[in-house]
Amino acid sequence: MVDVSQHELVPDHTLLGDGDLEEVLEEYNIEKTDLPKIKRTDPALPDDATIGDVVRIERDSRTTDTAVVYRLVVE
Amino acid sequence: MSQHAPKEIHSLSFGLMDPEEYREMSATKVITADTYDDDGFPIDMGLMDPRLGVIDPGLECKTCGKHSGSCNGHFGHIELAAPVIHVGFNKLIRRLLRGTCRNCSRLTPVDGSKYADLSEASEAADEKLREFRGNLDEARSLRQDLSDELKSAMRTCRRSSSDTNEDKCPYCGEVQYDIKHEKPTTYYEVQRVLASDYPERIAQAMEPDEEDGERVTPPELADETGIDPGRVQEILSGSFRPRESDREAIEDALDVDLTEEDMNKLMPSDIRDWFEDIPDDDLESIGVSADKSRPEWMILTVLPVPPVTARPSITLDNGQRSEDDLTHKLVDIIRINQRFMENREAGAPQLIIEDLWELLQYHVTTFMDNEISGTPPARHRSGRPLKTLSQRLKGKEGRFRGSLSGKRVNFSARTVISPDPTLSLNEVGVPDRVASEMTQTMNVNERNLDEARRYVANGPETHPGANYVRRPDGRRLKVTEKNCEELAEKVEAGWEVSRHLIDGDIIIFNRQPSLHRMSIMAHEVVVMPYKTFRLNTTVCPPYNADFDGDEMNMHALQNEEARAEARVLMRVQEQMLSPRFGENILGAIQDHVTATYLLTNTNPEFNETQSLDLLRTTRIDELPDPDRVDDDGTEYWTGRKLFSELLPDGLDLEFTSSAGDTVLIEDGQLLQGTIDEDAVGAFGGEVVDTIAKQFSKTRARIFINEVSSLAIRTIMHFGFSISIDDESIPPEAQEQVDEAIDGAYDRVQELIETYERGELESLPGRTVDETLEMKIMQALGKARDSAGDIAEDHFADDNPAVVMAESGARGSMLNLTQMAGCVGQQAVRGERINRGYEDRTLSHFEPNDLSAEAHGFVEHSYREGLDPKEFFFHAMGGREGLVDTAVRTSKSGYLQRRLINALSELETQYDGTVRDTSDTVVQFEFGEDGTSPVEVSSSQEKAAVDVEEITNRVLDEEFADENEKAEFLGERAEPTNLSEHADDWWMAQSDD
Repeated sequence: MVDVSQHELVPDHTLLGDGDLEEVLEEYNIEKTDLPKIKRTDPALPDDATIGDVVRIERDSRTTDTAVVYRLVVE
Repeated sequence: MSQHAPKEIHSLSFGLMDPEEYREMSATKVITADTYDDDGFPIDMGLMDPRLGVIDPGLECKTCGKHSGSCNGHFGHIELAAPVIHVGFNKLIRRLLRGTCRNCSRLTPVDGSKYADLSEASEAADEKLREFRGNLDEARSLRQDLSDELKSAMRTCRRSSSDTNEDKCPYCGEVQYDIKHEKPTTYYEVQRVLASDYPERIAQAMEPDEEDGERVTPPELADETGIDPGRVQEILSGSFRPRESDREAIEDALDVDLTEEDMNKLMPSDIRDWFEDIPDDDLESIGVSADKSRPEWMILTVLPVPPVTARPSITLDNGQRSEDDLTHKLVDIIRINQRFMENREAGAPQLIIEDLWELLQYHVTTFMDNEISGTPPARHRSGRPLKTLSQRLKGKEGRFRGSLSGKRVNFSARTVISPDPTLSLNEVGVPDRVASEMTQTMNVNERNLDEARRYVANGPETHPGANYVRRPDGRRLKVTEKNCEELAEKVEAGWEVSRHLIDGDIIIFNRQPSLHRMSIMAHEVVVMPYKTFRLNTTVCPPYNADFDGDEMNMHALQNEEARAEARVLMRVQEQMLSPRFGENILGAIQDHVTATYLLTNTNPEFNETQSLDLLRTTRIDELPDPDRVDDDGTEYWTGRKLFSELLPDGLDLEFTSSAGDTVLIEDGQLLQGTIDEDAVGAFGGEVVDTIAKQFSKTRARIFINEVSSLAIRTIMHFGFSISIDDESIPPEAQEQVDEAIDGAYDRVQELIETYERGELESLPGRTVDETLEMKIMQALGKARDSAGDIAEDHFADDNPAVVMAESGARGSMLNLTQMAGCVGQQAVRGERINRGYEDRTLSHFEPNDLSAEAHGFVEHSYREGLDPKEFFFHAMGGREGLVDTAVRTSKSGYLQRRLINALSELETQYDGTVRDTSDTVVQFEFGEDGTSPVEVSSSQEKAAVDVEEITNRVLDEEFADENEKAEFLGERAEPTNLSEHADDWWMAQSDD
């Protein structure tokens, strides 16, 4: 089967460590559940992602080079 | 309205109403269906009881003592003779009936028959309930919709097997039956009982069949089932109904089904009893809060009667009273309720009672919702369906969309719009009669006292007057023609004067449909005579307005904050750049574009008088140095030179115009090129766009205003008109066109012949038929194009139609081709016209005629005129276009509504994130880059933010001296303290 996470159009999804997560939540002054969500079954997720994890997605952007988004893994 | 509005709403809770609560809040019990007595007074405990509130002025409310207007009204109640179902809760009632036990009313998340014993089953059920609670907690923490959890929990609880009586309650072991719901409010329990024809069925099964040829004798049957042989005989004769266990034994032995479905109707009272027994804990685990919403409250025993203020009766001209629809419905309910009670007390037969019950249910149902499928709507005497509770709330004209989200406002005006090129694009001409109706509040102080008195002295009818004054004690006085002089002298500092709109006031202007933010912009008032709003034609594109009868709305602003905000953010010039494509949406249109083209394309010369006349309406009052001086000393200025006068100094630009030449602007001087649509047009004219972005929006506004002024004078100078002769071509050109079309016909004929011989080769992926169609279309398309080219060659460059098409003002070369050359192939759904009769389009043609003219090729031009067949085909193609636009607008309107509703609560926060109202992050940075679409380049080729260009501009401004700049950038190495021994080397590095 094709591993979509290796496709050039799929941005990098990396799991966020506890410390980094703390920092992100601190920065935006939010709870973990206020983050956008991503399904556990999403093929772009790393294999070891479990429900409750937060992934960091780094996209290419025409204007800012890279745009970073955080998502909470659900279900 | 309540006098003491709560300052802050702490929380809202939604739930079902306890019947006891209905009784408590009720001002009176309603028992009589009558409204008024013979003298016209409301009857006590009737539907218009004065305790339910007052609507007639002068009367006093018997509950709160207030008068009509200040009394909100009070609810009453009707004690229903028997419980009825509330239609709004049908879904939940059905779910609960299917998911709870008919005996003990507990939830049945597992099938009890699947477990060895009851304790094991109830253990499993408890486990499931805990799981439901867990899911609920999780959904709560993720702020998801809890009703989804309820739905999925109730799906689990629903009986698994619906056609057998196998499903058992895990708690009490009771067999559960399927629930059937008959819309709108009837529920049945479907049980399987012994069929009435059981002896026949048994006898049938005992007969020999193909598989086992043996006939089963009664003794054998008795043997097999263990039933007494005598009893078997009785069963077979039909004189004894087998017991449940015996029936099952027989069914097993003979492999036969002896049951049939029995529908057992559940009366609302049965359902109420059933729901009353559902334990609170079970409710909690499906997300229902038991103290707020007990399920039995979904079955009404008390009906609240809305206050009379919610259903006012109106007195007609002839003195007759006409009641509200809701009152009519309540009358019906009370009447039936009364009859129900009387019949029951009189001991009427069950059948009659049940009929009345159903009737009561019908009336209560239609009282709530009169548009339920499957039930005839309750009608007024005239046959009009009644507007009951749900109809009052629903839809576009309902309470929510019609009265709460949108309502009619004061200080607004609407009238027809017309053009006025002498106005600035920031202005709007307001008719004097509108200006004297819309007012602005003046707070009078020492400095504007005289001014305020002047307004008041003018009275309400003379234009810069005033309509009202407000004294410091809060009294509001109307200014009239009679009292204005007198009142003017009384005005002192501290008063408020509602004065008429005057020139320079800011107002909001809007044209529907408001599809983007430029549909609502702020304008400055210019008071004018006559009855229309006047606008500068350059603001037509953002409003999408024209002057064929369009009307627009105006709103006068009522406080300083709003006025300031409108002036800073909403003024037309501030909305110059569209966030849709990041370029200007204001600019020259139509004749403006034609005029700038005429002025700059051939670069004509003007003498002094002409030049000054062209620039008359701009701020330029001195001509630059002339471009040419005649031998006799007459000075001449070129069109480009005059145009350059409007450009700001320091503007450098190079681009290709839509006329095709290169436009070169250096330091605000147009050196070369044609100014047309691509330069100054709305929707991304380069010059306008650059001025707005590099200079300021104010400068751009001045530029657009002046370009349009110059353009109007230019086009008046040259004169510009178009007639039918401007599209005619000389006879020799017509011959060429005819030749070209004849050639195409021959080619089509050739193609058809090849096809008929079966020699046509199909293109990849297409059938032969499709290939033929494609090739014919191609040939005919080419014919039209070459006809167009021939026509084009014979048009002079100053042909008005050519000028308009070239400059981009209006029309295209294709339009011109169709007018002068050949209209070309008509198409429906992208194909040549194929519909009509069997195997042909019109009866004028032979069947299966594949030729061009038989399938909608129009060889004439619009100027020549179409022949009848061509006309018909042209109408077919034209109709498709009309239908398409009609469908597109309605579809896109609905899409727009959905999108707006979905996105309306998103907001960019001060930290740059985009969040919804529950603070959930939608974007971590607005648009993922935090840039405004109007501040970045919209072109696909260039970078969105050209850092290079920006730094260059900043550096140029920072360092006047080229050397300093080079030094700053480190481009030029400064001599360091070298040893004198290096002097030779050092000298060699420098130029001298």
